Amino acid sequence: MTILFKSWHHYLRLTQRFPSVGSIVPFIPVVALWWLVTALELFPRVFLPGPGDVLRSFGSLVYKGILPDYLQDSMVRLAVGAFCGIALGIPLGILIGMSRHAHTALWPVLLFFQAIGDIAWLPILVIWFGYGLVSMTFVIVYTVIFPVVLNTVLGVRSIPIAMHRAALSLGASRWQVLWEVVLPGALPNIVTGLRNGLGYGWRALIAAEIIVGTSGIGFLMFDARRAGSTVEILLGMIILGILWYIVDSWILAPIERATGQRWGLVSK
Amino acid sequence: MKSLTIRNLSKTYFDLYAGTNHTAIHDVSLEVAEGDFVAVVGPSGCGKSTILNMIAGFIPLSGGEILVGGRPVKGPGPDRGVVFQSFALFPWKTVLENVAFGPKMRGVGKAEREAIAREYLALAKLTEAANRYPNELSGGMQQRVGVVRALANNPDVLLMDEPFASVDAQTRMTLQEELTRIWQEKRPTVLFITHDVGEAVFLANRVVVLSKGRVLDDIGIDLPRPRSWDALNEDADFKALSNRVLQLVRSA
Repeated sequence: MTILFKSWHHYLRLTQRFPSVGSIVPFIPVVALWWLVTALELFPRVFLPGPGDVLRSFGSLVYKGILPDYLQDSMVRLAVGAFCGIALGIPLGILIGMSRHAHTALWPVLLFFQAIGDIAWLPILVIWFGYGLVSMTFVIVYTVIFPVVLNTVLGVRSIPIAMHRAALSLGASRWQVLWEVVLPGALPNIVTGLRNGLGYGWRALIAAEIIVGTSGIGFLMFDARRAGSTVEILLGMIILGILWYIVDSWILAPIERATGQRWGLVSK
Repeated sequence: MKSLTIRNLSKTYFDLYAGTNHTAIHDVSLEVAEGDFVAVVGPSGCGKSTILNMIAGFIPLSGGEILVGGRPVKGPGPDRGVVFQSFALFPWKTVLENVAFGPKMRGVGKAEREAIAREYLALAKLTEAANRYPNELSGGMQQRVGVVRALANNPDVLLMDEPFASVDAQTRMTLQEELTRIWQEKRPTVLFITHDVGEAVFLANRVVVLSKGRVLDDIGIDLPRPRSWDALNEDADFKALSNRVLQLVRSA
């Protein structure tokens, strides 16, 4: 037992010094279990390919240039979704958070449309825009925007009134209050909203690609189903997980740490 | 620095639950001369914070007028610096940036406003803390920042709303002594709101006792300066004045 504890302790220290170790090592047992299950042939190989098969398929798809293209398509869509979510969601959230009139007028509408979640729009979008980029972009922007708006509103409203008053009595104009107090004060919530929104958006995007896509990781998986290639389906699933892990833990989480936690607005 | 004049100030709220108007402030008049230090003391609910919020322009008046240097004021403005009970420092700005905030708002360049901020930080013995964030400081240090942030903006009048109510007793005494020292050095016009009688008598040249939205009495405090707790704790005049004010507050 003590050896286990000791090695765990060493491992924790190692992850602190080299964070990348901490993001790889936990997957070793998962992959090992997967390999064991396939090696024992508990399921037929056709239904559950092993890690080696998936890796080979990865190599060949990269070689053919299909995977990099699809990957790029999905990532660009995610980036467009993030950009539009930020460009529309943050101003809207600040408006609703700061103005009682805007809140009264827009909040019920917002909740209504939030309820018609992402892919519930697809049937009508396909009729309007057909299969393709416009429909998919609509879905991801739609999905990203709500968590961003709702969290921005929350962030704006969580700023103590004394903070507004302090800025005003130090001579700040309304715009200066917005820029110097409201935006930074709401930033930790905005980042959280963006993190949630992109998480939902990523899933919605894959769903949209499966249903209406002509390219992208979701399309890759659905196309593989048509060809009966379980290897490529599994590859797609793994790529989804890895991509999100990278976006979340290498980009979004550090931003969150650099803002709210540094300022003591969010507890560590 | 300028004088602060309050004439026939009143505040009436509409009480949503009772369905009637409730008068919080009745016809309060008060004059704070240029460079004077006046404390307003009274039990909670007497309306002292309401008065300060009206002077600061945070809430509208129901009647009367407020003049700074003889000119009527409306809404919040940099002519009236405010020190808040909750400190209200900007958590996303360093101590230096907090203190430089006022000058920044009126367009003072970076080098110059940081020089101003450093001068005031030195005044409050905060030079070492310049690059730290507020959440890394103790409550006492945070409120030192709050005081110099208001002063660094060079307001005509300094309004202090129970600024030391949320720090521990020992720190509070130090902060009070530092405030008297800074006041003597810079001579700002100060209106200081507190429920602490000892604090009011220790700090001010005049103590105004407020009760149920009315001025009950206005007592001159002619204790010598510089003031320190070591000297005043056992001082007969200080005790007599404190007792007198306390009696008034308790009778209120």
